[in-house]
Amino acid sequence: MSKIESGMESMIDMYIFETNTLLEQLDEILLKTEEAQTFTGDDINEIFRIMHTVKGSSAMMGFDELQLLAHKGEELFFIIREKPDNLSDVSFVYDLVFRMSDLFKAEVELIQGEGEYVATDFSAVLSDLEKGAAILTSEGGVIPETASLSSPAASGGGEFGEGFMTVRIYFQEGCKMENLRSSMLLNKIREEADVKDFYPKDLEGDPNASDIIVEEGFTVTFKADPEENGAVLKLIENAINVESYEVIHNNASGQSGSDQVAASENENEASIAAAVSLPTDSAATSGASVQSVVENAPAPVKIPSSDTAAPATPTSNTNQAAHLNTGKQSIISVNLAKLDQLHDIVGEIITTESMVISNPELEGLKLESFLKSARELKKLTDELQDTVMSIRMVPLAGPFQKMNRIVRDMKVKLGKDAELKIEGESTEVDKTIVDSLNDPLMHLVRNCMDHGIEDSVEERLEKGKPAKATVTLNAVSSSGEVVITVSDDGKGIDTEKVLHKAEMNGLLLKLPSEYTEREIQNMILLPGFSTNDVVTEFSGRGVGMDVVRDNIEKCGGSLTVESKHGFGTTFIIKIPLTLAIIQGMEVKVDDTVFVIPISTIRQSFKVQNSEIIKDTQRGEMIMIRGQCYPIMRLHENFAIPSEVTDFEDGILLLVETDGKSACLFADRLIGEQQVVVKPFPAYLGRYNIKGAGLSGCTIMGDGSISLIIDVANLIEVY
Amino acid sequence: MANTSSLFAQNVKPGEKSVRPEKEEEITKALTFAIGEQVYGIEIPYVVEILGVPKITRVPCAEVPYFIKGIINVRSRVVPVVNMRSCFGKEEIEYNEKTCTIIVALNDITVGLIVDEVLEVLSVMQKNIAKTPDLNNVNENRFIEYILEMNDGTKLILNIKKIIFDNEF
Repeated sequence: MSKIESGMESMIDMYIFETNTLLEQLDEILLKTEEAQTFTGDDINEIFRIMHTVKGSSAMMGFDELQLLAHKGEELFFIIREKPDNLSDVSFVYDLVFRMSDLFKAEVELIQGEGEYVATDFSAVLSDLEKGAAILTSEGGVIPETASLSSPAASGGGEFGEGFMTVRIYFQEGCKMENLRSSMLLNKIREEADVKDFYPKDLEGDPNASDIIVEEGFTVTFKADPEENGAVLKLIENAINVESYEVIHNNASGQSGSDQVAASENENEASIAAAVSLPTDSAATSGASVQSVVENAPAPVKIPSSDTAAPATPTSNTNQAAHLNTGKQSIISVNLAKLDQLHDIVGEIITTESMVISNPELEGLKLESFLKSARELKKLTDELQDTVMSIRMVPLAGPFQKMNRIVRDMKVKLGKDAELKIEGESTEVDKTIVDSLNDPLMHLVRNCMDHGIEDSVEERLEKGKPAKATVTLNAVSSSGEVVITVSDDGKGIDTEKVLHKAEMNGLLLKLPSEYTEREIQNMILLPGFSTNDVVTEFSGRGVGMDVVRDNIEKCGGSLTVESKHGFGTTFIIKIPLTLAIIQGMEVKVDDTVFVIPISTIRQSFKVQNSEIIKDTQRGEMIMIRGQCYPIMRLHENFAIPSEVTDFEDGILLLVETDGKSACLFADRLIGEQQVVVKPFPAYLGRYNIKGAGLSGCTIMGDGSISLIIDVANLIEVY
Repeated sequence: MANTSSLFAQNVKPGEKSVRPEKEEEITKALTFAIGEQVYGIEIPYVVEILGVPKITRVPCAEVPYFIKGIINVRSRVVPVVNMRSCFGKEEIEYNEKTCTIIVALNDITVGLIVDEVLEVLSVMQKNIAKTPDLNNVNENRFIEYILEMNDGTKLILNIKKIIFDNEF
C-alpha cells in the first residue's frame, strides 16, 4: 500500500493532528470513567463519536486497517450504548479500549514517520474486540432495549410521514414495574415494526418512568405497512397486563410524542439525547445501522456528529455537548514551522531595528523627530515580539494529562495503589519545550511509581502514610523559568545504597565520606546508574535518568533531585520559559563578544591581585563572603589571544547554575541586552561545541555575531 | 532556505544532472574560482550567492577543525565558513579585495567557501568532460566530481556533497 493516496498529502497533517487530538480525548474520558467505574451516557456517546470520526477520516485517507479497527471499537460501544446493563464487568472493556487506543497512536506515528507506511495487522486485537462485543451482547439477559439515548429525540414531527402510527398504551392498574413491561412490549413491537419514537424515553433509568406510564400511558410511534399495523395492534392488545390502548395518530405526524419529550424532560437530558442522536433514523433499530451512519455522515467528519443534531434542539447548547465544541471554534491550528518562521522574522526585525536606530552614521546628528519615531517603533516591535512569544506558549496540561495514563497503566501492572495529583497545569511554556518534556516526564513518573512508591501497602502504613500513594505533578513559573516538580510520597532515596552502588559501578570520583547528601542523591542521574536490582518493564535498565537529564538539558533546562529517606522523592525540572530570547550580559574578550545569560550571573566585580589565591597547580581562586570560587579566564578557556591578562585590568563575573559556581574573567562588560538565541549551523553539529561551553550564537545590533556561553558546561569543562 | 537562494538555484536542481546526454548540449553551468593557480568550479545549482569576506566570528572549540574559520551573518542567518585554501592543504593567505565567499547550499545545510578569486560562469558541455579514472579512490581528489578540459585550461568541478558531508582530514 502506498503511503497516501495521491491528492491526500495535504490532508495527512490534518488527519494526524485530528486523530491524535481525538485519541487524547478518548484517553481522558476513559481515565475519568475508570475512576468512577462506570460509563455515563455522555461518556459512551462521546467515545462513540470519537471512534466514528476516526473511522470516517481513516476511511477517507485510505487507511483501511485503521478504519476496521475503529469500526470494531465503534461496534463495541454501540453494544455498550444499546445495552448498558450488560456492562457488569467494565475492566476488560477498559483494557481493550486502551489497547486499541495505543495501537491507534502507534499506527498514526507510523503514518507520520519517515519512509514507506505499511499497514499493521490488527487481527489479534480485532478478534479480541469481537469477543468483547460478543460477551457484551450475550451477558446479562436484561431486556436489551433500554436504548433511550439512541433514539432520535431531536427528530421533529415532520419526519413522521406516511405509514406511521402512534399508540398510547395503558397498563392494568397496580401491575407494577410498568417501565419494564413497557420495555418488553417495545421489544416485541420492534420485532414487527420500525419503532420511531416512544415516551417516556428512559424506561430503565428514570425512577419516575413507571409513574409517568401509569398516569399518561406509554406512547409508541412506529412505522409499518397497513396490514402489519394491525398485527402490531394485535400484539399490543394481547400483551400481558395491558389494560387498554388508543391510537392517537395514524398516517399523521407523530408530533404529540415528540412534543412531550421536549416539554417534560429536563433540559440536560434533552440536550444529551440531542447531542448523541445519530443523523439517521434507523440508528436505534439494529446493529447494522452503524454502517448507515457512516454512509450518511459528512465525509471529512470535521464536525462532530453532535453538531448535526444541535440545530434541531435549541436546548442542546447548554452543557457538555456544547462544552466540547465551544473551545474549538476560536482556535486554529497552525503549522509550527510557520510559527518558527514568524518568530525568526520578528527576531530579525528587532535586530534590524537596532541596526537602523543606532546606526553609526547617525552619530552627532540632531534628530529629534527621528528619535521620537524610533521610540514608537521600538514600542511596537516589543509588542510584536511579546505577541509572537505568547502565540508559541502552550499550557502544560497536555503532557501532564498524559501522565494520568502512565500512572493508570503502572498501577494495574505493579499492583500499587496510587493517584496522580496535577497542580499548575495551566502554566504556559514554549511549544517546543512542551514537546520535549513528554519523554522526561514519563520517565520521571514511571520512576516514582516503580522505585519511589513502596512495594507493599504495609510498608506505607507502618510509616504512617495513607495506603494510597500520591504522585504529584506541579508547575509554577518564576522569573523567566518554569519549575516543574514530579514528586512521590514513597520511600525516598536510600543514600547508603546509592553510594554503595556508585562505588560498585566505579562512578565515585572522591572518597565516599566526602560526598554530601545532595551529591549522592543526584548520583542517580548519572549515566549507567540504577539501584533497582531487577530490570522491570518500566525501568531499571540504568538508562533513563541520565537520558531524562540529557533531554531536559537539551532544551536548556536542568534536573535535580531532592529526597528525604522514608518520606519521598522530588525531581525538580527547571526550564526556560522560552528558548529563543534571553536576557544576556555582553562581555568582551579581545575582539570576541560573549553573551552570558543574566539569570546565571550573581555578581560582577573588580579585584585586586592580592585577593587572588593561587593553588599549587595553576589554579586561581577568589574568596567572596567566606566562600572560595575557582576563576576561569575566558581568554584562556577559548584560546583567544587577549592583551588583558592582569586581573586588575579586567572584570570578574560570579556565575552560578545547578548549584555550581565559578568566577569568569573577561576583559570588560559591554552591557545588558535581550538577544535572540540562534543555534549553531547544522554544519557544525558534528563538533561538540556545546561541550566546550557555548550554547549558541546571536546576531548583534551591528550585524556581528556573538557567542552565548553555556555556564553549566563551561564549569564542567573546568 | 528557499527565500535566500538566488535566481541561480531555479534552473536545475542539484542531483538532476546525473543524466548526461551524449550530445553537444549544455549540461549545467559552473561557477569557477581560483585558489592559487588552479581553477575550480562549483555547479551553479548549489551556489546561493557570492559575498566579499564579512566579519568572521571564530568558534572557540577545540573540536572545530582549523579550516572552518568561524561563522558569519548572512542576512540574519548564521552560516559557517570554510577556507578552501586550508581545506585543500594549501597555505592560507591574507584576505584581499579579490577574496570572496561563495555561499553554497545543499538541502538544509548552507556553507560559505572562502576562495582567492571568483572567475566566471561557464557552460559545462559533455565534450569538455575529461575521461578520467575513478577519482574517488585517490584521497586528494575525492572532492572532485569531474574535470573539465577547456581551451583556457583544466577546471576541476567540485563535489559539494563531499565537501559538506565528508570533510574529515
